[in-house]
Amino acid sequence: METSSLVIGGGVAGVAAALALADNGSQVYLIETEPSIGGWAASFCCKATDVCTKCSVCVVPQKLQQVAIHPHISILTDSMVAGLSGGIGNFKVEVLQKPQYIPPERCIACGMCAEVCPTEPKAIRSPSPEAVPYSYVLDESRCLRLKGETCDLCRDICPTNAIDFNHEPEKKELGVGAIIVATGFEVFDAREMGCLGYGRYPNVLTGLDLERIFNREGYLKLPSNGKDPKKVAFVQCIGSRDESHGYCSQVCCKYAIRFARLIKYQNPNAEVTIFYIDLQTAGKGFAQFYEECQKNIRFVRGLPVEVLGTSSGELEVRFENISEGTVKRETFDVVALSVGISPKKDSWDLARTLGINLGECGFFDAKEPLNSNETNVEGIFLAGTCQGPRDIPDSIAHGMAAAQSAMEVLERCK
Amino acid sequence: MQIRIGVFLCDCGKSLSNIDFPKVSERAEKLQDVVHVGLHSNLCLKEGIEEMLSTIRDGAIDRVVIAACSPKLKEDAFRNALEEAGLNSNFLSLANIREQCSWAHEGDVTEKALELTAMAVERARFLKPLVKKDVPVNKEVLVVGGGFAGMKVALDLANLGLRTTLVERGLALGGRLEGFETNPAVPINSMRKAIEENRDIEVLTSAELTRGEGEVGDFSIRIKKGDEELSRSFGAIIFATGYRPEISPGDFQLRPGVNLISQEKLTEILKAPERLELRPKTIGFVLDVSDENCRLPTLSALNDALAVKERLGSEVYVFCKSLKVDSEGVEEVYREARDRGVVFVKFEERPRICSEDGRVKVELNDILLGDEITVFCDFLVAEERIMPSEGTEALSSILKMRIDSRGFCQDENVHLYPVSCERKGIFCVGACRGDLDIARASTDVAAAVLSTYELLASGTAIVEAERVKVDPEKCRVCLTCIRVCPHGAIRLVRVDTEREVAQISDLACEGCGICAAICPAKAIDFEGYGDEQILAEVQAIGESL
Repeated sequence: METSSLVIGGGVAGVAAALALADNGSQVYLIETEPSIGGWAASFCCKATDVCTKCSVCVVPQKLQQVAIHPHISILTDSMVAGLSGGIGNFKVEVLQKPQYIPPERCIACGMCAEVCPTEPKAIRSPSPEAVPYSYVLDESRCLRLKGETCDLCRDICPTNAIDFNHEPEKKELGVGAIIVATGFEVFDAREMGCLGYGRYPNVLTGLDLERIFNREGYLKLPSNGKDPKKVAFVQCIGSRDESHGYCSQVCCKYAIRFARLIKYQNPNAEVTIFYIDLQTAGKGFAQFYEECQKNIRFVRGLPVEVLGTSSGELEVRFENISEGTVKRETFDVVALSVGISPKKDSWDLARTLGINLGECGFFDAKEPLNSNETNVEGIFLAGTCQGPRDIPDSIAHGMAAAQSAMEVLERCK
Repeated sequence: MQIRIGVFLCDCGKSLSNIDFPKVSERAEKLQDVVHVGLHSNLCLKEGIEEMLSTIRDGAIDRVVIAACSPKLKEDAFRNALEEAGLNSNFLSLANIREQCSWAHEGDVTEKALELTAMAVERARFLKPLVKKDVPVNKEVLVVGGGFAGMKVALDLANLGLRTTLVERGLALGGRLEGFETNPAVPINSMRKAIEENRDIEVLTSAELTRGEGEVGDFSIRIKKGDEELSRSFGAIIFATGYRPEISPGDFQLRPGVNLISQEKLTEILKAPERLELRPKTIGFVLDVSDENCRLPTLSALNDALAVKERLGSEVYVFCKSLKVDSEGVEEVYREARDRGVVFVKFEERPRICSEDGRVKVELNDILLGDEITVFCDFLVAEERIMPSEGTEALSSILKMRIDSRGFCQDENVHLYPVSCERKGIFCVGACRGDLDIARASTDVAAAVLSTYELLASGTAIVEAERVKVDPEKCRVCLTCIRVCPHGAIRLVRVDTEREVAQISDLACEGCGICAAICPAKAIDFEGYGDEQILAEVQAIGESL
């Protein structure tokens, strides 16, 4: 019987689950398909104005650091589950790891490789400041050497001789007692709603774009001309609560209101409008914040049907103001689409490998509604947004809850 | 004894080209108490650490200064290395000459690197060893509140082998969910039975907490049960005190009880519809009138609306502003309700509600129609306002824990979410910390159970002893530190027959340093941040130039 455990997915729920298990003495394998752990939440930005708006994003890097140094957690990046045998208390998991051209344990992140890389954009990417592990990443598709040309510049300059082009994919077999699936979500692709102009007009952005812009720059300028935005519109429920998404994504109203507040704080002259169906303002400490926001943010009930570019480069938004019973056109300089949480498109592959069920909406199916961590397979548990939409604190709680279920299994195995 | 400091400089694979390392090294050698200066290129890698270890062993160095990358990256690896070399892991002082020096500036930054290194050396000179020690912790857990969450906590902890005492203020376990239409259905009866049969769970009903002292691992609690007052000790406390529903008749111009009914009353009706003299033709639910930022009323209204349709067949209206669908499965229930003919009427301005001819008249502007409408209901189910349980404030003051802006347990601080509070060993689960539905409460329970288990399962906790300590000679017992400590980690202990002094619990202390900063007698010493240490560090700036 095994007392070690496997967590699939290094997003915030997986990281919370791994930490909880490891703190309770289980040896945890944390596997992640990307070169670094952290998931979506690691790319999000702090939304504080002069006060904290409690978006919880700052909790994530802290947890990642704890995972990075935890003696009981082994992180396997660039890895995926390829096969499973055995059962509860005694799973054998086959893990496939992509070639580690720059093994994280050899990289000191000095950046010399990226400096000499001759391709444009560079084939070697620097890690984001919060990345765990903090090491450079080689992009197979851009690297001249891996495309068959002769170029050894990075390998020759690397002071620790970390770079090895001959690295092969590796197969590993792990024996674990319990498995936690925490593969997370996909952000809805706003291009699917062509009438709103995402991908066509540079000033139509998504919530995810805003996260990244604010994370990188700290403020919002018009992508088309670099000027301050004067009129900003947020459009809610993009990829939520519609024919193909029969659920509320739970996060969009709050992030939109926080962004609206942040834009208004940085740029008091900007007019900010939020178009919505039903505003989701419940949650610890949110009511007061929302009340404050109502003072200088316009809330309009009704979703725009069309966004068109005008000759002067503005965006004309056609919408129905349900409360007034009118159809209107109004111009804005930025339209931000509050994209929601969609199930991962490749969930089906993992579901088949592990033998767990997918629910109607495409998320993994929980066996019991009151214990949303349990799957139809004993010993395999769900954590976070792979089971259904959740915000950061709820994902952390769900990850810990999954760890508790797994812990009960491991205790029985002892 | 003479301090022997070893300085290890790392040029990060010679990539920090704007620092003249030989110059830094030469100057560092002249600093007080420095006996060794080494120049390395990859201190963070295995071979780099090996090199450092052999130097420490050969050179009989007893303090280590590392000038390299951000402490965020490798501090723990370095501390582990020190222990491996037989040094106390606190004898390490780091200077960040990469992220905060070389990378931050253009042009030569040798002088800054030198200053940072000199500061780290000064800091190292004052370091004292920190000893890890085992502290015993009490393995018993107190659960306050015998509703769904509290019962589940007790059962789950018992499953993991921890004994609990479940204190409930009411006459019996069950809480507010007893008999309610919930989705998903909660097996309250079987849970109650399982608790009765479990010998690891002690149930105290009609009981309340009256006093609480001590801290994590060793809470002394007094519980009043009837005329008796019991004294018990616990290692951890879990709050599951739930919420209190409130109907404010001020929101409606009619008498409560007549045709404005509570959720509880509706549940009663739904349980035995045959007892009704007359089947109600129309039932209305009103939401978002007394609190428009709350989930629970929406959840219960949706479940009740479906039950009414099924069992009474009445027409059902739900009047609301923004339906709160941000919980799992609620959008589905909402769609089902609409399919079954429940009418949702949305408003911007609150409806005018009054009594007319024995029925409830609801007048409002239906925003979908864009027109004033009037609906007559036989019953109007009042919106329950979700309030903190009675006595939450008293409980929180007994245990010195903060409440949030609406009076619920747990401060509004993202670092405490989901279930912690600022006092270690106290957890808050379910609706006592806000407007949480059953699914979320259930997740909370699991999270708190695991955290408690981690804290207590082994019966001992490993702590760094005396990282922050009070000098009993200097302590004037002004109690300032006890008042300001946000973690309730300081208490008075008797040193002799005449005197008591403040003492800091190593387990409960989070190392925030507030007490050390505020102590008027300067009696509290925070290892690594002592006054003379910081002054020496400041003095090192400029001196080395």
